[in-house]
Amino acid sequence: MDIERLKSEACGQISVAKDLDELNQASVKWLGRKGALSDLMRRIPELEPDLRRDAGQKLNALKKELEALLEEVRTRISGSALALDEGLDISLPGRPVPAGSIHPINQVMEEICDIFVQMGFDVVEGPEVELDWYNFEALNFPPDHPARDMQDTFFVSGDVVLRTHTSSLQIRTMESTPPPVKVIAPGKVYRCDSDVTHTPMFHQVEGLLVGDGISFADLKGALTLFVQKMYGPKTPIRLRPSFFPFTEPSAEVDIGCVICKGSGCRVCSGTGWLEVLGSGMVHPNVFKNVGYDSSLITGFAFGLGVERIAMLKYGVDDLRRFFENDLRFLSQF
Amino acid sequence: MIVSLSWLRQFVDITLSPAELAHRLTMAGLEVEGVWERYAYLDSVKAARVLSVAPHPDAQNLAVCTLDMGSGQPCTVVCGAPNVRLGLLSALALPGTELPGGRTVAQSAIRGVESFGMLCSAAELGTGPDKSGILELEKGAPGEKIASLLNLADTVFEIGVTPNRPDCLSLLGVAREAAAVCGAKLARPQIILPKGEGAIEEITSVTIDAPEHCPRYVARVIRNITVGPSPFWLVDRLLSVGLRPINNIVDVTNFVMMETGQPLHAFDFDLLEEGRIVVRTAQDGEKFITLDGKEKTLSSSNLMICDGKKPVALAGVMGGENSEINPNTKTVLIESAYFSPMSIRKTAKNLGYHTDASHRFERGVDPTGCSAAAARAAQLMLEVAGGVLVEGEIDANPIPWAPKEVRLSASRANAILGTGLSCGQMRALLASVELEAKTPDSDTLAVTPPGFRVDISIPEDLVEEIARLFGYDNIPVTAPMLPMEIPPPRPAMSFRKKLRNIMVNLGFFEAVNYSFVAADTPARLGLSADDPRQATLAVANPLSEDQAVMRTSLLPGLLAATGRNVNLQNRSVRLFELGKVFFARANAPLPEERFMLAAILSGEQKPVSWHEKAAPIDFYDMKGAVQALFESLKIKDVAFARPAPGQADTLLPGHCAAMLCQNKLLGILGQIRPEVCANFDLKQKAFLLEMDVEALRSITPDAVAFAPPPRFPAVLRDITLILNKSVPAEEILEKVRQMKHPWVESVWVFDVYEGKPIEKGKKSLSLRITYRADDRTLTDGEVNALHDNIGKTLLNAFGAKLP
Ligand SMILES: [Zn+2]
Repeated sequence: MDIERLKSEACGQISVAKDLDELNQASVKWLGRKGALSDLMRRIPELEPDLRRDAGQKLNALKKELEALLEEVRTRISGSALALDEGLDISLPGRPVPAGSIHPINQVMEEICDIFVQMGFDVVEGPEVELDWYNFEALNFPPDHPARDMQDTFFVSGDVVLRTHTSSLQIRTMESTPPPVKVIAPGKVYRCDSDVTHTPMFHQVEGLLVGDGISFADLKGALTLFVQKMYGPKTPIRLRPSFFPFTEPSAEVDIGCVICKGSGCRVCSGTGWLEVLGSGMVHPNVFKNVGYDSSLITGFAFGLGVERIAMLKYGVDDLRRFFENDLRFLSQF
Repeated sequence: MIVSLSWLRQFVDITLSPAELAHRLTMAGLEVEGVWERYAYLDSVKAARVLSVAPHPDAQNLAVCTLDMGSGQPCTVVCGAPNVRLGLLSALALPGTELPGGRTVAQSAIRGVESFGMLCSAAELGTGPDKSGILELEKGAPGEKIASLLNLADTVFEIGVTPNRPDCLSLLGVAREAAAVCGAKLARPQIILPKGEGAIEEITSVTIDAPEHCPRYVARVIRNITVGPSPFWLVDRLLSVGLRPINNIVDVTNFVMMETGQPLHAFDFDLLEEGRIVVRTAQDGEKFITLDGKEKTLSSSNLMICDGKKPVALAGVMGGENSEINPNTKTVLIESAYFSPMSIRKTAKNLGYHTDASHRFERGVDPTGCSAAAARAAQLMLEVAGGVLVEGEIDANPIPWAPKEVRLSASRANAILGTGLSCGQMRALLASVELEAKTPDSDTLAVTPPGFRVDISIPEDLVEEIARLFGYDNIPVTAPMLPMEIPPPRPAMSFRKKLRNIMVNLGFFEAVNYSFVAADTPARLGLSADDPRQATLAVANPLSEDQAVMRTSLLPGLLAATGRNVNLQNRSVRLFELGKVFFARANAPLPEERFMLAAILSGEQKPVSWHEKAAPIDFYDMKGAVQALFESLKIKDVAFARPAPGQADTLLPGHCAAMLCQNKLLGILGQIRPEVCANFDLKQKAFLLEMDVEALRSITPDAVAFAPPPRFPAVLRDITLILNKSVPAEEILEKVRQMKHPWVESVWVFDVYEGKPIEKGKKSLSLRITYRADDRTLTDGEVNALHDNIGKTLLNAFGAKLP
């Protein structure tokens, strides 16, 4: 009775089976009721009585071994076979898991803040309902000055307003901190204006850097860095003289149109430039109002409108969409 | 401010292209917001030759002409001009042409005869004064453009003048800037007056009773003028900058205002009682009718120009009806004054005026320019209205202008700008806009600003001049040198950022709503009269009733947004907002501002899909979300309790909960009352979560301490109890926890069932208890004994039965 030979032949044949058919054939041939193993089992009584026990044990062990091998090969074959011909309809949609999103304005505001935080700016915030002093007067907007017409203001009372810019944080920060100061102030601001290009509430990020020897050239450097991080390293930047009561010299900052790359389009009114920022050197009256000595320090400030940047970034055509909270809009971000 | 290139060229030799000039002005701080060709409207006006003239069959005064317009196809036009004749080359305005008077030429039938356009006079085309007949061209061919035949070309610039530069609210001011950016010289108009008759002091006087409002008042008088239409050149100049001609006297005052920036007023001298001027503030309640026919009630802050008896003008804002120039005016008094900017601004604002004059006065006119402007006006009035000048001027100047020298250190200017300009370079830049600087030493520039530059009073004002004239583009780009340190993030801000991210991960979309709401919002939310959220802060000048007060809850915005979304067929809504609410405070000028987190769920929990049927959102979806929020924040021990009265008036009683931690109210959640939903135009069920962000932050652990996972396996056992429906599940769980058996790791409700075969008023509640010891594997026997024990305790404690 050559059990060893049977084992090696059976193992060989089972393990090379290429598909379930071949495996079944091998199974029948070796383990079937009329298979080779059963054949040997049936012949045990023919053996000498003292050999029967040993042979029976060996055959049983072999049977178990072959069955395990058979199962292993079956798993392997059926695994690949399933993948080939009897799998799931994977095109059916998965079980829905709701996926929300951060509002695009807050996404962009976060992105802007992150850039300045990397440049070492601290983030500050303050009240949205503000005293006239912080919103206007300390920022060198004297009472009854035409500069106040530049910002349509919501009033709560004579000297309380809804802040028209986050520049109020310049004063609040400098009042409570000695120089140097390096902060940005993101937040909601309000202006009494509502049409296609204005909403009564919008978002701003204001920046302030005050210290020893800070120059207009540094302002250009900081804004160039920001613009290139925000819009790509090749984006050109241009500063134009302008007027803000709390800075002097003041500058409007244009970037090369991100839509047409400067060749002129509808978005940039054909100029190739987009106005994205206001900025300038901090006005000495502002320093005086917070008790800084303007003969010792200089600084620059800048402010940018978040909606404007978000509109450019995402190609949003109408400012008002940001505040309608239509899920078909929000879910795109 | 609108300026025309041809007018600018009167004062400065400009050879740059209009586009280049616009660019340079913009880069010097005069932002050119628009550039257009003044005669663009003449593009569709062509030379046309009259081929035939026939009488109009239906109208005596009209002729029917055929014209050669250069296209080879003659056209027919009806014309009423006396000079239309065979062979005449005239101007044909094609249909669509917009003529200066506002009229658009149309192709239309005139008394039954189709007319293809209109033959025009010079006056109709705005190219000359003649309106007696159609234009007669001396040269040219049919089809050629009129503008090129008449050499008409002018460019108009619209300049956004910043409030600090009132000097640029005049042609001369803009020309000064243009001269600087072109490297050219400014030439002022010559003012030559004839020797007058008599002496002005003999016929009139100026008394200033309010010198702080009116530091200077210059008057001139001209007799025997003839009021009538202005000559073409004057009309043309006014039209070129967008002003409407009125009559020769008023037109001159407007012309001089545009030229010099000094607003003028002309009075009919014979209508001034006592023939004199008194400048005083109004009496409270005094009434006055301005030129535009509006009656205003005055107050003592309004400065008035009066005659011997009564007000005749609202100083610096608008003249009065009672003294205006009229066709019968014979003698005119010219006013050229310097009024206090603040005084004019207050009056204009209070009385609701914004005029060309008030715009300039409130920004500051040249206090040294009054006399010259009055003389210029007199010169032009004599030219266009005839008359005889009364010799001399009255110059009442109780507070003379005191120029103040400004000293700038050149090295400081370089430090501020980051430039390396020499003192001489700076001096030259300043000189290009007529800021003459002395250099008392090698580092000092001493400038006494001329009267027209009211914006220059401190050294930084000069730094700005140097910077803009040098060119911002030419200033180097450097990196600020400050000690580099990255400040730590602010905990409150980081926390809000974290909350936003958690809400997004829970499947909510972030909404941003306006901070203002309608005044009746607290009532529409169903809040009681003594609810703190009734303490809204009102906006004094809201844009609409819907935005009248600052919000005291985030809910109204979310509810309205949900209603809108449902109406837009976005029926399943998952929105959250993180923002401020505002509470008016009686004892402080500023309100309390508090960050809140609110979320709303409405519609289906999951959309219907092939896996399962759609399930409507219910209380437990919101509770699950908030529990996941707590879990993300590692907050434990939040109790969900029935809200106390007044805590959740907006929510449906019995379907809402207050969230408490250490007896502190964190917020509320639950179903919004249907009538509240209806108040916000939302017609389906909605569930709210609203929490105080800082309260939430105060119970959020800063750090997480790691505990190693258990080493031994757990054993699970279930038990089902039949008990009274009214017993809250939490009580049963709490009972198990209270036993504090060290092997009981957790207990969880995995099934709740009411209905057959369970008896009415009862429910079946199935619990799963996890048993685990931390030092060994528990045996079945040990677990079974403990589980039986717990089961008995629960059966006894709640009068429950096993199924
Ligand atoms: Zn573009």
